[in-house]
Amino acid sequence: MAEPAVNRSFVKLAGVGHRYDPNPAIPPAVTGIDLDIHRHEFVAVVGPSGCGKSTLLRMIAGLLKPSEGRVTVFGRAVDGPRDDVGIVFQKPTLLPWLNVRKNVLFPLRHKYGRYNREDEARADALLAMAGLEAFARKMPDELSGGMQQRVGIVRALLLNPDILLMDEPFSALDAMTREQIGFDLLSLWQEQPKTVLFITHSIAEAVLLADRVLVMSRRPGTVLDLIDVDLPRPRTTHTISDARFGELTDRIRKHIYEPDAA
Amino acid sequence: MSLTLPEGRLRRVLLGASPWLFFVALIAVWEVGCRLFSVPAYILPAPSVILNAFFDVEFSRWMQHLWATLRVALLGFLISIAVSIPIAIAMMRSEWLSRTLYPLLVVIQSTPVVAVAPLIIVIMGSDDPSRILITCLLTFFPLVVSTATGINETPPELIELSRSLDAPTRRETWQIRMPYAIPHIFSGLRVAITLAIIGAVVAEFVAAEEGLGYFIQFSTSFFRIPQAFAGLFFLAVVSLLLFKSVQWAQQLLFPWSLPRKGA
Ligand SMILES: Nc1ncnc2c1ncn2[C@@H]1O[C@H](COP(=O)(O)OP(=O)(O)O)[C@@H](O)[C@H]1O
Ligand SMILES: [Mg+2]
Repeated sequence: MAEPAVNRSFVKLAGVGHRYDPNPAIPPAVTGIDLDIHRHEFVAVVGPSGCGKSTLLRMIAGLLKPSEGRVTVFGRAVDGPRDDVGIVFQKPTLLPWLNVRKNVLFPLRHKYGRYNREDEARADALLAMAGLEAFARKMPDELSGGMQQRVGIVRALLLNPDILLMDEPFSALDAMTREQIGFDLLSLWQEQPKTVLFITHSIAEAVLLADRVLVMSRRPGTVLDLIDVDLPRPRTTHTISDARFGELTDRIRKHIYEPDAA
Repeated sequence: MSLTLPEGRLRRVLLGASPWLFFVALIAVWEVGCRLFSVPAYILPAPSVILNAFFDVEFSRWMQHLWATLRVALLGFLISIAVSIPIAIAMMRSEWLSRTLYPLLVVIQSTPVVAVAPLIIVIMGSDDPSRILITCLLTFFPLVVSTATGINETPPELIELSRSLDAPTRRETWQIRMPYAIPHIFSGLRVAITLAIIGAVVAEFVAAEEGLGYFIQFSTSFFRIPQAFAGLFFLAVVSLLLFKSVQWAQQLLFPWSLPRKGA
């Protein structure tokens, strides 16, 4: 991004860790994570499965209390679920009894028990932005996996959150859908800037989308590396053929396959 | 030789008609067999004899017996629903309650209701309430289990979504968990409705002055075997229709909970 990210820390993790098992003989799931995410920054997290990526996300969402360290958002400690966070899961988890539009409006109905005309207009605008207006009245099972996940993203944006947390959102999709939906996510993000934490298994996807990539170690999950992705935006399919793209993905790959070399 | 059907429209017609054709063939074999070997009617009456026996009984008598059985079965079924769904929800909300109640439920379920029925009649008298209780005892366990199973099958991500929205538990239950339980609840309801008929009939076997179960038992004890068969078939048809009604209700009220046709 254009501006240098000095002292604009928005989400701050200071020595954050969590253990599910109180038994001290068992290592914690994650430990000693330090991370400053700037406002409207796109941070990707990669690491082997079971290294605590989802645990990290849950702590930022306020769904899980850290057992060490502190998470703060805009200087305020996170001590419970917060309504300025939107979450997108690996599975789209749409409600099969509601049509697309009602699924998008569901967070409002669920949180407050109702929604009004303006909310509906906002849902329609978001659906249009995601190219989904033609599907508004369809039921989820009439949509492809990629379309369902788009609806999942739109649903997460409904409450206009400052922070978008995405837990392997595209890993259930086929490679081509996945690339396209990644670019679509970037253009949504450009139109509606958010602070994004994006967990993925795909090193290429992380580099292609993010401003910075956090590489985590095997359990107990710690920070192995934090990589600045100095590739120009907007990112396109040409980005992938950029030599710098190859260098960056190689650097991450080294961490994953030869953890001691780095 | 293989049992494959021709392609296309004819195939679909045959596929739809084959259970009926099979049924008709079965009846025909039965009829012919009875006549051919002159099986006495008190051992196995021919279908035509059963049909005659059916029309020998006045229509209003049938309706009286039907109503007696139906009101017990349906009331027991409805009370069972009203009791078991809140119990399942309460057990989902509270680990303590679930641990306390579950063994009791298993004990009730594993006690043969047929053996308890006479005691219930002795204690509560031979009126509708005791028959309804017997029906409830038979039906509510499968309903509790299917509801509880359905509630627990809710994807954990949706529970996290609900928690991240800081929504009240009441809405988590009614807007997420219960709808997710619908397919399971309906498979429980299909089991329960047929058990409700069984419960009502068992209760009538013990003590009753009317009802289809009573009618069958009464006819048998007077060696009116064709009449007993007529009652049995009537009961089977009623039970089947109730089972189908539960399916229709699901189709009508919750079409999304059924697997999409042709998908
Ligand atoms: N609710 C839980 N209770 C106990 N252990 C858990 C729980 N959730 C995750 N874990 C464990 O914590 C570790 C990190 O899990 P997770 O954050 O889901 O990893 P990732 O998302 O990177 O695959 C894993 O070893 C996992 O088994
Ligand atoms: Mg995970």
